[in-house]
Amino acid sequence: MRLSSSQENAVLASPVVLFLLALLGFPVVLSVVYGFSEANFQALMSPTFVGLENFHLVLNDIGFWNAAWFSLRFAVITAFLECALGLFLAVYLAPLIRNHGWMVAVLIIPMIVAPAMMGLMYRLVLHEFAGPIPFYFYQWFGWSPSFLSAKTVFQTIIVVETLQWTPFAFLLFMAAYQAIPQEIREAASVDGTRPWRMFWKIELPQMLPTLFVAGFIRFIDGFRVFDNIYTLVGAGPGGSTTSMSIYIYETFLRRGEIGKAMAAAILLFLVAFLVLALGQYLMRRSQ
Amino acid sequence: MKLHLALRWIVFAFVALIMNFPVIATFITALKSPSEISRNPSLVVDSPTLENFVTVLTVSDRLNVYHYLWNSFSAATIGAILPMLVAFPMAWVMVRRGYGRALLFPLIVNLRALPLIIFAVPLYLMFSVAYLLDTRIGLGLVLAIVNLPLTLMLLVNAVAEIPIELEEAAHMDGARLPRLIGRVVLPLCRPAFITTFVFGFITAWNEFLFGLILTTQRAVPMTVGASFFFATSGGGVQWGVAAAVMVVAALPPLILGLVMYRRISGSMVSGAVKG
Amino acid sequence: MTISRMLICSAALSVLSAGAAQAEVTVLGWPGGPEEEALRAVAEIYNAKSDVAEEDKVELLFTSRDGFFDKLQVDLAAGSNAFDANLIATYSIGRYAPYMEPITLSGEASAVFGDTVLSTMQFDGAQYGVPTDLSLHFLYYRSDLIDALMADDAAKARYGDISEEYLGVRLEPKNPDEWTWQDFVANALYFSQSVNPDSPTRYGTVIQMKNLLFNMMVFHSWPRSFGANWMDDAGNITVDSEAYRNALETVKMLYDAGATPADSTSYEYAEANAAYSAGQVAAMVQWNAAAGELKGAQAETKTVAPPTGPEARFTHIHGLGLGLNAAAENKDGARAFLDWLSTEEAALAYARSGGAPGLAGETVVKLAEERPDLVQVGDYASNYGFVMNGGTSENALSVYEAQAKEFTGYWAGTQSLDDAMSNISATMNELLK
Repeated sequence: MRLSSSQENAVLASPVVLFLLALLGFPVVLSVVYGFSEANFQALMSPTFVGLENFHLVLNDIGFWNAAWFSLRFAVITAFLECALGLFLAVYLAPLIRNHGWMVAVLIIPMIVAPAMMGLMYRLVLHEFAGPIPFYFYQWFGWSPSFLSAKTVFQTIIVVETLQWTPFAFLLFMAAYQAIPQEIREAASVDGTRPWRMFWKIELPQMLPTLFVAGFIRFIDGFRVFDNIYTLVGAGPGGSTTSMSIYIYETFLRRGEIGKAMAAAILLFLVAFLVLALGQYLMRRSQ
Repeated sequence: MKLHLALRWIVFAFVALIMNFPVIATFITALKSPSEISRNPSLVVDSPTLENFVTVLTVSDRLNVYHYLWNSFSAATIGAILPMLVAFPMAWVMVRRGYGRALLFPLIVNLRALPLIIFAVPLYLMFSVAYLLDTRIGLGLVLAIVNLPLTLMLLVNAVAEIPIELEEAAHMDGARLPRLIGRVVLPLCRPAFITTFVFGFITAWNEFLFGLILTTQRAVPMTVGASFFFATSGGGVQWGVAAAVMVVAALPPLILGLVMYRRISGSMVSGAVKG
Repeated sequence: MTISRMLICSAALSVLSAGAAQAEVTVLGWPGGPEEEALRAVAEIYNAKSDVAEEDKVELLFTSRDGFFDKLQVDLAAGSNAFDANLIATYSIGRYAPYMEPITLSGEASAVFGDTVLSTMQFDGAQYGVPTDLSLHFLYYRSDLIDALMADDAAKARYGDISEEYLGVRLEPKNPDEWTWQDFVANALYFSQSVNPDSPTRYGTVIQMKNLLFNMMVFHSWPRSFGANWMDDAGNITVDSEAYRNALETVKMLYDAGATPADSTSYEYAEANAAYSAGQVAAMVQWNAAAGELKGAQAETKTVAPPTGPEARFTHIHGLGLGLNAAAENKDGARAFLDWLSTEEAALAYARSGGAPGLAGETVVKLAEERPDLVQVGDYASNYGFVMNGGTSENALSVYEAQAKEFTGYWAGTQSLDDAMSNISATMNELLK
């Protein structure tokens, strides 16, 4: 028996579709029902339909917009820093890495550690009395910055996130840099192109697609940041470090407003869907 | 030229130190006795001790670190492999036939943007009916969902990288679809599978919230088990033991990552360039 | 196909090892620390009794402290029968009562614990739990530093100057058991190097100001002694009061003056204790549970009740206890255990194994030699203990959380006091109506 091409397509797509239906089918349906209902932990089985009220609540909640703004800023800044730093390391250290592969291993350690543990480690490392960083500051300069004070906490978590995830961008760029065909470089150097110009005019354009991928993945991961911030500083003074994930998590489990949390999640999903669809459309058009 | 090279080494050493500083400091803290921790925050240990590691590795009446490690290992293995199995055919059919590109692909990829913990309640209810609560398989299944988006992204890129001529040639030779995918595409995607596995395993190993909510006793993973140790003396964090357990908990994925890094970096080319 | 073989192997192993034996009465306790040790000890005593049937023996279950209440919320709401009895706390009884069943205590209970302590486990007039541990606050201070201050006339003059400059009144150093909150503040300023460069400690106090509900409990003893309450007897929300405003403003003044570390806005229990233990803090208000740790690190540490205010001296109290899961499989067995747990025999054993039960009259006398701290705890609880109006209601936990968000926002300077007050009034009106 021979399957038609569209039947083949369906068969090949079926494992992932069945997997999703089996595991997320019921959760998604129930979550959508909750999103349109007055739902809490006392009445898990008997949500009452309230139409769009939860969406109304979420959109009028300043906390939701603050969280969205925090996540957006955090994601843009960290994605940019990680890509810039990762690109620099990949290109600048390339001559060394070619002969010393172990350097890569040293540089990717941070991304292997659980983000929640990383947050906990920084709680110790940055503590004014128990942490080594303030200790050496006091010893050498008689003074130490307060890394987790209200004024500096945003910069600190940006640095913490960047230091942990720059290796991810670095890894992608290193591979992309090695993949640039040697002939292109040789041709350019025969023409007498200087190194800086070579990078700018020849190597960077070759790595542009990787730059997009790395930037996109880091942006999404930055936007949904949770573990490291939550273990390090919680939701922050006055909720100032509440990311979108922290907002949804606290609304859901801490305040038990299941309907509102689901409405926020549905909105987030729709926006993410639109952004990705738009991105795909633009990419196809540019090709 | 010499100077340039030296400068590169300095940059490397500096960056490696800064990025790994919390890990280094945690390891050093794990070698300090409780009294030394409150007295000496520096990186030089006066009287190194393995006491903290001994505590972590030998407590057995109330906490069993080997049990947690085994739970994490099995759940993370399921959570890394299962999404590859289901996503691979999908990746091929999407790249070569455009099937599912409009809806299914963005749907799955966008799961990564969501805090999946919002599904905790329905999953909990489902699992309690299916006897999957507090089991390694149940936890593994949830971790598989967590890993699905990145797995699909990486595999899609890997398939897109395979020169279409290779597939066409096989097709000309009369290879049917299962043979084509199994004998031609699959082997060519091997490096991407390794990368995906490593990333998936690490992500699954490091997950905390589902591990906390969906297990109570038999399938508690290492990340949750680790937090038991933080509270071994009162409500506070006993830093020495906490540091030791963090080191132990991070070791398995670290070993995997360090053994595999060559292959990861090699396969990343095919894995990512054609976004 | 090694990959699929690995998968099958681990799947098979998971199934094989999943069927571990279950004891008949499973109790979910508060993990880690003296509470766990004490519960283990009493469970052992109970299981050794000849009249406890094999199927009613107790097995203990502990889970993570991080996210404990999140997990419990899901477990209970989904009707989990993984445990028969579980931990409850005063501030969360209202939230979990719908999934639990009231219990009856032994006849001795009211004599052993006293009615104040029993009431920390009551909701809507029903007894939901056996009290196990009682938490309240001490003022911890370094007696060596205070003694040196009191013996030095130049230092006393400096103390007077500082209090005059910051508080508008010239104060004399006093013994901490006579302190008002004003003395606490003056002392905090005097022992801070940012205010007094000659101070032997870097900070006069350490205040836990992280956006965390437990930190609000520590803070509450202060406004309460100025007469603060969540609501009046008619049910009107009274959080926007001079008492709250005054205490909040003074904490901010201390923070801005550098009398508590600049990082305090991310400090909780562990960080605050580490600061005190390092010897760089002169006095702090902290949970009674920290006594061992702090006295161990700074031998000159003494404890008294928190400072007094215009109204009276107060300490926020809450109890931990064990109650009955409504979905329990062995309710009779669990009831029998809980009943026994409320006897004097069990309470004494619990205390001797390191627990901190709030015990009354004759019972606590029996422990005076071994656990003098329990006498202090019982004394403070009955004389100064308070629970805010609405502090055991369904949404009490959410009220603390909302306060944590608004108050820390004011302290950190992300919003004004008026905004914080109007936000918290609105939220509490919503939560406590």
